[in-house]
Amino acid sequence: MGNGGSLVKIKLKLILTGVCLFFFTYTGLCAQETLVYLALQYGNQDTGNPAPVVGTSDSYLSTLADTHGALNENREVLPKVLSFDFYKTSGSFASGFGLEVHSYNKSYSFENDSSSVNISAVGLLYGLNFYYRGDYWYPFLGFGTGNYSAKVQEQLTSGSSTTYGTVFGQVDKPFFYKFGFRIPLNGMGLVFTQQYISADLNVATENKSLSLGGTASFVGLYYAF
Amino acid sequence: MKIKGLIFLLAVFQLFFTVEKSANAGRGNFGLGPLEVRPQFLVNQPFLAMSPENTQTLKDGESRLSFGMEIANTFVNTQGPTEQITKTEVARGLTLTDFLDKDGNTVKGFSLYLDAESKRKKVKYRYGLSDSLEFKLELPFISFDGGTMDSTIESVHSLIGISNFKQGGAYRALSERNQYAYYVVKDGEFVYASTQQIYNIRGEPSIDLKWNLSEGGKVMPAASLKISYKFANDDRSGEQQLIRSGGVDWGHYFILSKGFDNWVVYFGDGTTKIGNNRGFASTLNHQFMSMEYRFAEEDSFVFQTVSQSSIFPTSSASSRSTSGENQEQRNSNLSVPTSVSAFGYKFLSGALFWETGFVQDYNNFNNETDFVFFWEMGVRW
Repeated sequence: MGNGGSLVKIKLKLILTGVCLFFFTYTGLCAQETLVYLALQYGNQDTGNPAPVVGTSDSYLSTLADTHGALNENREVLPKVLSFDFYKTSGSFASGFGLEVHSYNKSYSFENDSSSVNISAVGLLYGLNFYYRGDYWYPFLGFGTGNYSAKVQEQLTSGSSTTYGTVFGQVDKPFFYKFGFRIPLNGMGLVFTQQYISADLNVATENKSLSLGGTASFVGLYYAF
Repeated sequence: MKIKGLIFLLAVFQLFFTVEKSANAGRGNFGLGPLEVRPQFLVNQPFLAMSPENTQTLKDGESRLSFGMEIANTFVNTQGPTEQITKTEVARGLTLTDFLDKDGNTVKGFSLYLDAESKRKKVKYRYGLSDSLEFKLELPFISFDGGTMDSTIESVHSLIGISNFKQGGAYRALSERNQYAYYVVKDGEFVYASTQQIYNIRGEPSIDLKWNLSEGGKVMPAASLKISYKFANDDRSGEQQLIRSGGVDWGHYFILSKGFDNWVVYFGDGTTKIGNNRGFASTLNHQFMSMEYRFAEEDSFVFQTVSQSSIFPTSSASSRSTSGENQEQRNSNLSVPTSVSAFGYKFLSGALFWETGFVQDYNNFNNETDFVFFWEMGVRW
């Protein structure tokens, strides 16, 4: 056999080795594997729409509205969500843990005077997630807790006087549940999430609750490691 | 011969991955555990504080002896926005007048000027009373001084665009670096007023009993209950009052852990009851979450977040003012709960273990330490 035959053998051996290495290392074909996802999502969150079952209506802004007139803005906020998830798969099913950071700002004004309230909130939420790994999409559901930190700045006008207040606060034990699906596209993909968050902050100035959670819909991109 | 070589090569690879999988399978719901660091805020130091811990206990008859140190840099100047306390006032010694508001009125609630580095050295001994019950004794030795980290912290602030003249930088630029001062004022009266540095004062010892209720399974997490008890030492003369409460404190932590191959997550929820609160909070609530990534059986990277209620109880300070933001209204926020994040590395091999990491207060509510660096090492037998 000439050099051509030897070259074929070497190529064949390399291909065989490569194929075998691929099968040994490609955990997608194993019974179990661990996947890690990093995702960035945007969407809207209606803080005035309590999470079904676990949420309650808040009263802080409505109490201010009794004095200063109806809110000029709706209760929707536009959070950015950065999330990190890992999953252990077992066949078509997977269970895992996720950590997500939510952040948003919102300013409110009132109809009757120049009063205003500015709210900035950062939520660090974490919990358990469960996946079904279909052929073209991965539906999931999850639930968990974490904490929300918030800053509420008031400037309230009453006649000729103005009162000021800046209240920091933290919700220690929020609760959330969510469902959605991922569409994988070559290591990256799209993620759609519907999330319900119960996170009521007691605002000390009025001693009333302010919902930092509510009902949210997010869409974003993820990257799988 | 060449085919044999190829098969041998593949067998080695197969063995490598099989061994890795076997090792992972044996880890279950236990890892090396969360970072065992307690709150380091100066005002919390005399009281018991529950620290996160692994759900796993030592086995029957096993012992572990360790030594650790937590170095914390704390800077709080509640008078910073009005620049009432600067290096000039600190140099002459602060008086109650410095803690009045800018109109000369007494401020209700708490006001603070804290500039210190605390070093909490601890000796710990653990013993396995049974395969699921562990006893621990901890003895702390505490130092408060001016430290050395101020200039580094201010440089980092500047590097990332945080002004040391403003709230984000805690008004650090108004004060001298590496100085020590510890002033706490409540309703216009000093609770603490000290510029005397202290070194290696023995704190009050504490004991723990941790019971591993369940190792969990494929679905259920492992669960443990930890009960802690701090003994009272009535000798609070001089500066010892800063590190001893003189009362009995106790607390509990309920801890869950769940493994996902190389990842282990931990949750904890607990409470501390303070026997002699000296005018501060009588109950502290704690929660933690840890994510541990196991590089191998011996070492892990841990990310952790801890939430806790404030050592400052809700006071009569008004949270609103009619003359713009004022001292009292700002200080009313000292009583809100806060959170810290931590990163660390843990190592356990044979008889030796070691952990190190740092903690960062990301809320800046003025009721938590800015930055903590910690390490602990020991032996087990």
